[in-house]
Amino acid sequence: MIKKLQPIAYPLFFLAMMSMPAFLDPRWLAVATTFIIFTIVALSTDIVLGKGGMFNMGQALFFGLGAYTSAILNAKFGWPLLATLPAAILIPALFGVLLAGPIVHLRGDYLLVTLIGFNIVFIQVLQNNLGGLTGGPNGIFGLDVISLPGMTDSPQLGAFYTALIALLITLLVMFNLDKSKAGRALHYLREDELAASSIGINTRVYKIFAFALGAGIAGMAGTIYANQYSAVSPEAFDFVQSVLFFSIVIVGGSSVPGIFLGVFVMFVLPEIFREFATWRYFIFGFAMIFTMILRPRGIWPATFGKIPRRLIKEGNNGN
Amino acid sequence: MATKELILTNVTKRFGGLVAVDDLSFNVQEGQIYGIIGPNGAGKTTVFNCITGIHPCEKGSIKWLGEEIRLLSPHQVAARGIVRTFQTIRLFGQMSVAENIMSGRHIKSSQGWWHGICPTPFSRADEHKNWDKVGELLDFFNLSEFAVNPVGSLSYGIQRRVEMARAMATEPSLMILDEPAAGLNDNETLGLIETIYKIREKGITILLIEHDMDLVMEVTEYLTVINFGKKIAEGTPGEIQAHPAVIEAYLGSDDDDDF
Amino acid sequence: MDIFLQQLANGLTIGSMFALIALGYTMVYGVMKLINFAHGDLVAASAFVGLFIFTNLFGSGTSIFIAIAVFLLTAVVIAICGVFLERVAYRPLRTAPRLSAVVSALGASMVIQNGIMLLWGPQLKIFPDLIPQVYWDLGGVVISLIQVLIMAFSLILMIALYIFIEKTKMGTAIRASSIDQDAARLMGINVNNIIVTIFVIGTSLGAVGGLFIGLYYKGITFNMGWQYGLNAFIAAIIGGIGNIPGAMLGGMLLGLFNAFIAGYVSSTWADAFTFTLLIVILIFRPTGILGERVAEKV
Repeated sequence: MIKKLQPIAYPLFFLAMMSMPAFLDPRWLAVATTFIIFTIVALSTDIVLGKGGMFNMGQALFFGLGAYTSAILNAKFGWPLLATLPAAILIPALFGVLLAGPIVHLRGDYLLVTLIGFNIVFIQVLQNNLGGLTGGPNGIFGLDVISLPGMTDSPQLGAFYTALIALLITLLVMFNLDKSKAGRALHYLREDELAASSIGINTRVYKIFAFALGAGIAGMAGTIYANQYSAVSPEAFDFVQSVLFFSIVIVGGSSVPGIFLGVFVMFVLPEIFREFATWRYFIFGFAMIFTMILRPRGIWPATFGKIPRRLIKEGNNGN
Repeated sequence: MATKELILTNVTKRFGGLVAVDDLSFNVQEGQIYGIIGPNGAGKTTVFNCITGIHPCEKGSIKWLGEEIRLLSPHQVAARGIVRTFQTIRLFGQMSVAENIMSGRHIKSSQGWWHGICPTPFSRADEHKNWDKVGELLDFFNLSEFAVNPVGSLSYGIQRRVEMARAMATEPSLMILDEPAAGLNDNETLGLIETIYKIREKGITILLIEHDMDLVMEVTEYLTVINFGKKIAEGTPGEIQAHPAVIEAYLGSDDDDDF
Repeated sequence: MDIFLQQLANGLTIGSMFALIALGYTMVYGVMKLINFAHGDLVAASAFVGLFIFTNLFGSGTSIFIAIAVFLLTAVVIAICGVFLERVAYRPLRTAPRLSAVVSALGASMVIQNGIMLLWGPQLKIFPDLIPQVYWDLGGVVISLIQVLIMAFSLILMIALYIFIEKTKMGTAIRASSIDQDAARLMGINVNNIIVTIFVIGTSLGAVGGLFIGLYYKGITFNMGWQYGLNAFIAAIIGGIGNIPGAMLGGMLLGLFNAFIAGYVSSTWADAFTFTLLIVILIFRPTGILGERVAEKV
């Protein structure tokens, strides 16, 4: 049943999202925009963590790197925000290569701690106002916004649709990845790295590729974030955020619907139940434990077995 | 006249104080089915790990078609046409049989990493061509009916076949089989012998480790026997069966459970 | 020279605390191959529990007996929490995919951290002077009674643990389980009991570490667990995770390293230096200083 719905589920989802602004007041529109941005970052985490199987607990670093690249180029050098987008994708991607390069061979938990480390050092760099560029603990504010045609009078609306376009691009990349040599290589090395290298996959190259791609997408989300708030500050990219993205991917089951659900629960529900704000993480903590106990592979586990139909012969108990 | 393909000279591999492979030399020639036998713990799998770059050896030389491959990493060895299977089957358990075989097409596919982000008509054609190849291999190994099943859910015998199909998908020149008959029943072993011959007919050289002596004596053309990492004999199956050192190695040791 | 000796004393003090906390991580990791993310938060909780026990049971006053009582009671409470944590959050996931257990551990960490906040509030609390503030000036180098007690007490606990692990039957069983859980089970070792024992020992040592943190730094906050926990975990990795003397060595090294960086370079970049040290060590010795290199069986 779900299988049959799949081809139309995504177009329907996007139609629903596109009509969202008609129903939402400005506050909820902002929540919806944030939801989309965090979804993009969670999806970018999934490329490294879910597809490549590398314990990535530092994704907020790349998210922040993109946001700060845009903010610095816009505020200090006067570039239009949209023009900073290529740099906000390429610089995090480059850092993905440089940071991942020396550490991708590390075993799971070691990699995780190292990435937390990078994230913490990154925040320290921002707070210490390195080179006078990052604005210290207060960050950078008063940024321009990206003006979409026909929405120049409503920055809120523009931010929402810009985010939606970025989400569409991200999903397209993820689907392309699944149907390519590079994407499959990530799956193979996650399942069994030694076997993957024994049949000729250069695991190191593809691991670094995953980091660079994930970082680039997170960087793009960073620009969108800077666009929505017209400001950036260090605490939005703290490693605690990385921990949340990590948890969302695993709790969701590292599938696209699972990640949507996870981001919704982590970031939208707290907006609905604001009066319980102080209980938020206490409850999430329990929810994470019990989800993992009841569904160790996540709420909506990713499925494999997408192969061309012509290979499926009769006598198949196909699923 | 056959050219010498794989030449091992004085290969030595240590793990801490233990000498797992000790000054071992042998040659595998093109088109041969070459066997390595020896009691448990003799260092047979370690030899394979040295050749395929998983645990590079410290001393000696491993030459493949004239090129020194001793220090290459596993994926570089695979790119040169040497591919292996594992004693403890190592497949991508959650993925389907077809996807597992497709993994062998990795080095034959000409897509770049950027096609993973943005496909082109060229990369789509490349995908199509490689999936077709997977279809052929599914037929060749009689695996078509399991194409979509996750390999983790299949029986041992079928998993062995998938692993060989995956290796075949790389279009190797030399296929290294690490105990391909382990865990198979008699029927499956017969099927395996047939498959090994079929692979050889395609012009692929085969190097194998096996405990099933009937199988070894039937399929291999030349054998090296090792014990405690050292070569104790080599020759045709007929010669080996009559070799006193081999009989001693197998029958003289107390911890023997293979014969 | 004065700076050197002063930072040496400070470094050994901090290192002792790191080592005590690192032991909890390394023992759990050894047997369960899991980073117990909640361990740091239990350490933080112990400072609050200690504060609570002191103010409610003893009110004020300092005597050696009150201090001992607070330490013992806190260790018992935290050990019970640790056993409960293992039972609820980790045992059901022992055969699940690794990442599920990691997320469960993160969840447990959130629950404990925010539990502390809900109980005691988000503000900084001041830990009472269980031990009198006595300072000795040794020719320019100032050492406090608290520092001496922390170092001496940590050393005693670590020696005791070392003897327990190396010389007793239970210790042998723990070492066996951390090498190969399945083989240990086949040899008749009850791995469940081992894990419970490890949690009792690890969290009690962590509780002592948490109380030391309170005594030494005075200010305690609900979210300090991650900060100390991460440092202690890094110490465990540096020493070679799963290796008990390694955790002690790693803790001391990291404490000294932190102190000397703060003394000679700057404290604003302390974390950056710590992580650089970690990365350098992992690049040159991927299994830590005392960790053994194990070739993957193929």
